[in-house]
Amino acid sequence: MFSVGGIKLAARTEDVGGVSPWTGTIPVPSRTPFVQAMLKRDNHVMPVYDLAARLNLTVQGDPLLCLVAHHLDGPMAICIDADVPSLETVDAAAIRPNGRGDIESLGSFTIGENDVAIVALQRLGRSTRGTVTS
Amino acid sequence: MSLRGRQNSTNLLVETASFLIVRLGASYFALPAAGVRGVLTQEEAGHEEAVTAAETVYQQVDLAQRLSVVADLSGLEMRTVLYSIGYSQGAIRVEQVVGLTDVEQKDWFPLPPHFQCDERNWFGGMMLYQDQLVLILNSFWVLGESSGVVSVPIGQAKPLIAVTPTAVGESC
Repeated sequence: MFSVGGIKLAARTEDVGGVSPWTGTIPVPSRTPFVQAMLKRDNHVMPVYDLAARLNLTVQGDPLLCLVAHHLDGPMAICIDADVPSLETVDAAAIRPNGRGDIESLGSFTIGENDVAIVALQRLGRSTRGTVTS
Repeated sequence: MSLRGRQNSTNLLVETASFLIVRLGASYFALPAAGVRGVLTQEEAGHEEAVTAAETVYQQVDLAQRLSVVADLSGLEMRTVLYSIGYSQGAIRVEQVVGLTDVEQKDWFPLPPHFQCDERNWFGGMMLYQDQLVLILNSFWVLGESSGVVSVPIGQAKPLIAVTPTAVGESC
């Protein structure tokens, strides 16, 4: 589980390539919604997906963290809140099929009093081609 | 021309391409050097809409506006790049000419497929130059030609990330 703009979200562990401190990004002129920068680490670069902007939120805390998503198009960096992500085991039966409508989701579950969407990191951005949801 | 130095590849057996590296705002771009006809200072370029050099008229190309990049074109390092391919010419104002470099084919790579929209026509790929990420401009697009051919002068760049069929051509 991780958070963006104070909102708890979840992702399958197999969809996450790692979490590390966020570093500066390189702007890339682009018309692709929420994909307008690259992250450079040594000699490797990867696109940045602005999940916070997609959800109309602002990432919180310092230092911010970088979540690397195993996207179907290749690795992709996402800036998340400074809160260190945690591992949660969720019974498949507890996952409701209808997640948030504003983001690619694998469903949602309840933890405490919070409804947590499981973000489909592999497909992130694929439903915004043509329409921008905010 | 007032370039900051040229980096040459000495291995003649390796396919290389030459690029002029320029900066607009915080972004670095590479223009295939084969089309560069000159680099002028503000004083040399003048303030007209078009620049005439060697009996050729180069119309201004507002690259910053076309790329939606915020650039300060009033600085001392601003240059006008005279560019020509085929029957098209353009005078491209840039914030800074950074250098001229020869790049081996293995050292550039395509735009990741996550980028889905117009930018796929704007850029032929990317490379690293002096630790900076540089976007390789499609010179046909820069000069407003309709050709979709990317003007990187040597063969297909080695993809680091496989392009999936669904990654290209979807609406944005």
